[in-house]
Amino acid sequence: MASHAAHSPELHHADSHAHESKFHIFVQIAMILAVITGVEIVLIYLPLYKWLVVSSLIILSTVKFLLVIFYFMHLRWDKLFCTILFFIGLLLAGGTAWALLLLFGAEASAPIEAVQATLRHLA
Amino acid sequence: MSSHAGTIDHHHDHTTSTGIPNKKLFMWAFLASDCMFFGALISSHLIYRLHPPPGSPDASKIFSIELTSFSTFILLMSSLLMALAVNSLQKGQVKSTRRNLLGTIFFGLIFLACQVYEFSHFVHEQGLTLSNSVFGSTFYTLTGTHGCHVAIGVLWLVLMYIRSFKPADADEGRAWLLKSFLHLIVFGVTVVAAMASMLGLVHAYQTGDGFGGFLHHHPLTFAVTLAGLTALWFLGRSKGQVDFGEANAIDVESMGLYWHFVDIVWIVIFTAVYLLEYL
Repeated sequence: MASHAAHSPELHHADSHAHESKFHIFVQIAMILAVITGVEIVLIYLPLYKWLVVSSLIILSTVKFLLVIFYFMHLRWDKLFCTILFFIGLLLAGGTAWALLLLFGAEASAPIEAVQATLRHLA
Repeated sequence: MSSHAGTIDHHHDHTTSTGIPNKKLFMWAFLASDCMFFGALISSHLIYRLHPPPGSPDASKIFSIELTSFSTFILLMSSLLMALAVNSLQKGQVKSTRRNLLGTIFFGLIFLACQVYEFSHFVHEQGLTLSNSVFGSTFYTLTGTHGCHVAIGVLWLVLMYIRSFKPADADEGRAWLLKSFLHLIVFGVTVVAAMASMLGLVHAYQTGDGFGGFLHHHPLTFAVTLAGLTALWFLGRSKGQVDFGEANAIDVESMGLYWHFVDIVWIVIFTAVYLLEYL
């Protein structure tokens, strides 16, 4: 498990100060996250171009995502290997989702009219 | 026994080849795999939204943006409390850790209650079920799986809270085991009764009955909730030294990683599943 290094009073004080400042960082991050969520909700009601709103929502969600993983999940203070490990899973998941959305979002993937008509008839 | 603050390096472990505590490494590997699981569920939902079959419901008329925004805020604040719980235990402050864990449990339960209310509202008033449309199937599978993750997280938090009372004296081991089992039972009964009370209260106010109407229809549920909370307060009184402290910070941190992951999944769901429907 973790090492038990001998700490001088100065180091002890510095460590305690680091923990104290982390408390303030966490509270500030939580406030930023709440504000971003509020902005997201307001955005969908604004009369803006759809592409602009969608892009803004994606950017804001990404910012929230990164703030949580780097601060609340301590990636900022942990070894780089943790970040790499998590981003491997994240990239695989994102890549799969992106590929699926491109494949099924293509014009050729739209249900053909005859099938749609049959479904409409059945409904 | 609580160890002294500042004697453990919480970010590096020199006894492992990676320099990362094994529990933390395991949790990050698990979360990376869980990303792929949720990635598949979210993309399935989005693909079916691209080509909705005839007769698909209009999601923007079904969803309640107020309720979902409230749930999102609650989950974000629970993440803050979880981060503070880890921070407290890294400083060896057991009481503060317990308070933050209880706060996280409370917020997690509010989130679950909102989801139960939302599902119940969709099924009974909007007619959206798991099997009557593709939208319903993918929506309930995705948000239900996330809800299961939250429920597992709440159970883990409760177990960690109870674990924090383990006495330092090994002779009290058997008595503590029985007491902790009782603690868990009381917690479970109180949570179920409290959630039933909360939903009953919301229903009473919606129908115009108010608090009096709620008490008239659910006297037993309310009484069990009050009795359960009293018993939890009694069981939560701590005497003497406990075998829980800074050395256990890695356990709470691993649990925190899971809880924050649940939060980041919801950040994606909130945008991809809920907000995009309003455009």
